[in-house]
Amino acid sequence: MNPTLLEVRDLNKAFGTVVTARNLNFSLQSGVITSIIGPNGAGKSTLINILTGLIAPDSGEILFHGRDITREPIARRVRWGLCRSFQVANVFGHLSLFENIAIPVLAVTRKATSFLRSTVRDKDVRREVESVLNRIGLLKQSHVRAGALSHGDQRLLEVGIALAAKPSMLFLDEPTAGMNPVERTRILQNIRELSDGGEVTFAIVEHDMDVVFSLSERVIVLHRGQIIGDGTPEQVKASPQVREVYLGEEVAE
Amino acid sequence: MNRYRTYIAAVLVLCVLVGIGLFSSRFVLYLTMRVMILSIFAMGYNILFGRTGLLSFGHAAFYAVGAYGTALCSMHLHTHPLLVILAGAAAAALFAVIIGFFCVRHTEIYFAMLTLAFGMLVFSLMWNWRTVTGGDDGLSGIVRGSISLGFFAIPIMKDSQYYFFVLFCFAVSVLLIHRIYQSPFGLILAGIRENHIRTEFAGLGVKRYRLAAFVVSGTFAGLAGSLGLLLESNVTPFAAHWSHSAEPVLVSLMGGLETFSGPIVGSVLFVVLRELIERFTHNWMLWFGLILLAIIMGFRGGVVGATSVLLKRFSERP
Repeated sequence: MNPTLLEVRDLNKAFGTVVTARNLNFSLQSGVITSIIGPNGAGKSTLINILTGLIAPDSGEILFHGRDITREPIARRVRWGLCRSFQVANVFGHLSLFENIAIPVLAVTRKATSFLRSTVRDKDVRREVESVLNRIGLLKQSHVRAGALSHGDQRLLEVGIALAAKPSMLFLDEPTAGMNPVERTRILQNIRELSDGGEVTFAIVEHDMDVVFSLSERVIVLHRGQIIGDGTPEQVKASPQVREVYLGEEVAE
Repeated sequence: MNRYRTYIAAVLVLCVLVGIGLFSSRFVLYLTMRVMILSIFAMGYNILFGRTGLLSFGHAAFYAVGAYGTALCSMHLHTHPLLVILAGAAAAALFAVIIGFFCVRHTEIYFAMLTLAFGMLVFSLMWNWRTVTGGDDGLSGIVRGSISLGFFAIPIMKDSQYYFFVLFCFAVSVLLIHRIYQSPFGLILAGIRENHIRTEFAGLGVKRYRLAAFVVSGTFAGLAGSLGLLLESNVTPFAAHWSHSAEPVLVSLMGGLETFSGPIVGSVLFVVLRELIERFTHNWMLWFGLILLAIIMGFRGGVVGATSVLLKRFSERP
């Protein structure tokens, strides 16, 4: 069994009468690609938002590397290695790709406060930024403004920004939505490589079942804020409860 | 290539400014000093507005604090120009830390209204605290001492001498702000303007960077206030009035928000237009409003932004 990276204890969150997390208890192991699935409104995105600090939970605890991070601000969680990407491309539209990647690189190398040195002349920063751009296949466009990219490329950049923060745990919110097959292959290949290399542990929210079942070693099924299935893809596929609420049609075929 | 062009432009501007200092009439000297002081004010302001995306309506407060700080220091302590200017800028920085601490918790219209409120608070403080600030009369009769550097002293009493001191401060400010824009810190500020949530998720405490931008820009406003006071030799509470806060906003908008030289070009336009229009009419604001309307509707990205787009299109043509 791999060591526990992230642990969630008795997590609750409700918006008015809509419960999006009810007594959630689970832990994520390092090196295991986990998918979080569930029908629309199951509370997947809210869960990511809570874990990464965008929304505060009503009650419960979140432990990362054994440290309680429930009340820590977003930026500190990121610096400790807990990062995310967004469902919609959430990039710095007016800035070049180089600058888009440079921002998280500067943040993790703690160079962001230097105000008299030139960014582009810092060789370490440049090397790091170029290696991330190369990884997501956008190195040639490093001087293009992010807003000018195609939707799929913006999604790639989105993941690139998250990777550049050198996370040990990375949440991807529908990473392949809106991508063409080439981009999709590239992103999935990247996830596998990084996961196999032991650098990053991924947790993925995804609607595309092909992606879920081909990529993940563990699947967690959410329904109305509760976990109704948790295990290997095969176990989840076989679970009657899961088939009832969610997978029904798609697995039955 | 592009960098080359920037250097040439900078050297040209410097030559023109030195030329003005050597050969111009007192009136042109005075106007040019006003332009340079407004430029420092507006460029500093634009670190917050154009770069970080925060619209402040209270920056005149820091200008005024700079001016009053300089005046008080020169009246009660010493008249050494470097010391009094340092005192003015430091006072402005201190005020910016305190006011900014509360303001950066909010963004957009809430931020703008908070800065407006704090600005007017500083205004009424200066208006009412008669024993220290002289009330509505303000402080006047401030003399410019010589810059003594131990074994020799540079006099700046005459306007033709003071001009070069202002030019020096202007050049240093331009250089500093240019470095800030090229630096990691400057990039982070641009990131906050573009997408502050993403910046937070890049591992950066956005509030702290907003506060830093606020203080840096407030300090430049204070420097401008100090220089303005030494130029006019007096200051009244209206330096802190919200209508004065509008000046750097208008100047930045005219010149071009997301450009480096925009505030400088905007300052030239502002001072020169005002001078020209006031010769013909008392209602200069009316005409200025019309011109501003034309610039904002006709030149997207300000005069500098629109011109550079035009030049690019021209040079790309085969």
